[in-house]
Amino acid sequence: MITFDNVTKRYPGSHEALTSVSFAIEQGEMVYVTGHSGAGKSTLLKLMAAIERPTSGTVLINNQNVSKLKEATLPYVRRKFGLVFQDHKLLYDRNCYHNVALPLAINGITGIEAGKRIRAALDKVSLLGKEKAMPITLSGGEQQRLAIARAVVSRPSILIADEPTGNLDRNYAEDIMALFTAFQQVGVTVIIATHDALGNANYQNKVLHLNQGRLRSLDQAKLTNVEAPANLEAKT
Amino acid sequence: MNAWCHIWFSQHTQALNLVLRRFKSNQWNTLLICLAIGVTLALPSILYAVLDSVNGLANNVKTESKMSVFLATNHSEDAVGNIKAALEKNAAIKNFTFVSKQDALAKLQAAEANNEIFNSLENNPLPDAFFVEPNKLDVDSIASLQKELRQLEGVEEVVVDGAWLKRLNYLVLLGKQAMLIIASLLGFALVAVIGNTIRMQILTQQAEIDLSRLIGATKSFIRRPFLYAGALYGLFGGLFALVITFAVIFLFNRTIASIAAEYESQFLLNHLNMTSITLICLIALFLGLASAYLAVSKSLLHSTK
Repeated sequence: MITFDNVTKRYPGSHEALTSVSFAIEQGEMVYVTGHSGAGKSTLLKLMAAIERPTSGTVLINNQNVSKLKEATLPYVRRKFGLVFQDHKLLYDRNCYHNVALPLAINGITGIEAGKRIRAALDKVSLLGKEKAMPITLSGGEQQRLAIARAVVSRPSILIADEPTGNLDRNYAEDIMALFTAFQQVGVTVIIATHDALGNANYQNKVLHLNQGRLRSLDQAKLTNVEAPANLEAKT
Repeated sequence: MNAWCHIWFSQHTQALNLVLRRFKSNQWNTLLICLAIGVTLALPSILYAVLDSVNGLANNVKTESKMSVFLATNHSEDAVGNIKAALEKNAAIKNFTFVSKQDALAKLQAAEANNEIFNSLENNPLPDAFFVEPNKLDVDSIASLQKELRQLEGVEEVVVDGAWLKRLNYLVLLGKQAMLIIASLLGFALVAVIGNTIRMQILTQQAEIDLSRLIGATKSFIRRPFLYAGALYGLFGGLFALVITFAVIFLFNRTIASIAAEYESQFLLNHLNMTSITLICLIALFLGLASAYLAVSKSLLHSTK
């Protein structure tokens, strides 16, 4: 589904954000991208979502080589993804309903069909009662759930979330993680970047651990993280 | 193909709806911008209407234009015959009449009031004359014909009736040039006004634009509502301009009718015809569209990817 082969990304006038990263993600997997801030997690997600292009190496999304695609076709590749941004990127000039409507509008879906899908998405994140509310009136957890509703409303096959639990307390964070697990169980590929241990709650999942732009062992879930979350949880 | 058409259509109605919603939520701003555009466009439109009417007047008068060829009083015996032959051969002349000095004097004497004056004259002071009606009535051909006739032997003077017509024609020409210059300068002003308005709107929508780019909106999807907004600003401005122009011409005509009555004339300014109305609307719409396109292209270049 997503294949990185020897991918390097260097931003102009800066060091290499990613160096020789290779991995493959299959359909329906749940993958964690971990590492300290500045380790290249966001860059990795941007490359996956065809927002950035690699400096060298190949990024294949559904067997399409992102580097070789024309600029004009990139938007269509991006529509395959549901994105949950670190800073939500909610639009504060419109209510919840119209926030969720945006991706559908981009896909050309409007009217009754759009209304059904928007309510279904809001229902999934338990915000159906707040469709008329403005995002600014929502709590942090609700805003995050709204961002997730917006990410899934166009039924993407891949869901990418950047620090979805970053600023939330434990209860909210667990709600959010349960939501992601639910999506994975219906066949959606879920990719989550996180710097905290809670992200690794499910030890069967694949972990891409980044350290200064380099990928550490793919099987770290089995090697180290089995113990780590328990230890951290005990501390907090 | 059908589905594609449907998507294309729905994308455009979607953008149009969005723009109209935004216009509605900013009624006063929209109204003021359209009024500003309307005033800007009204100026050249009024000027055009005035020039068009004056030009029509000039064209009507032209048909009365004639040339008088006066012969020298001491011309040779066969000069009249020679000139007549030359005039007959000239392709630029429609027809002409000859009035001898005796005929002219007889005509003048026929008017009773002149009797005394002419009876006291010892010899006939009037010249023989040809009255020539040219084929072409524009300024250039009349001037060249005049020059040509002057060179014939025995011709003393060639007078173009209604030399004021020539001046009027030049004045209309000057007016037309002034109108073109004013129209193009104001056109630039219009592009600046609409472009600036659209740029401001892009700034207020920046968050939405950035987000839309990230989640897969094409450039045309983002550009479309702004292009519609620009075109609609232009169109509404054009309609305002028409209303202003009609009102001004209506007002002017009340005064002009009184002035014209003093000259026993029926002259009035013409209202804009259907072609001019359509043309003004189309130009306004196109200017709006073009300035929005410039503004959006420039702003989208700056935003990332």
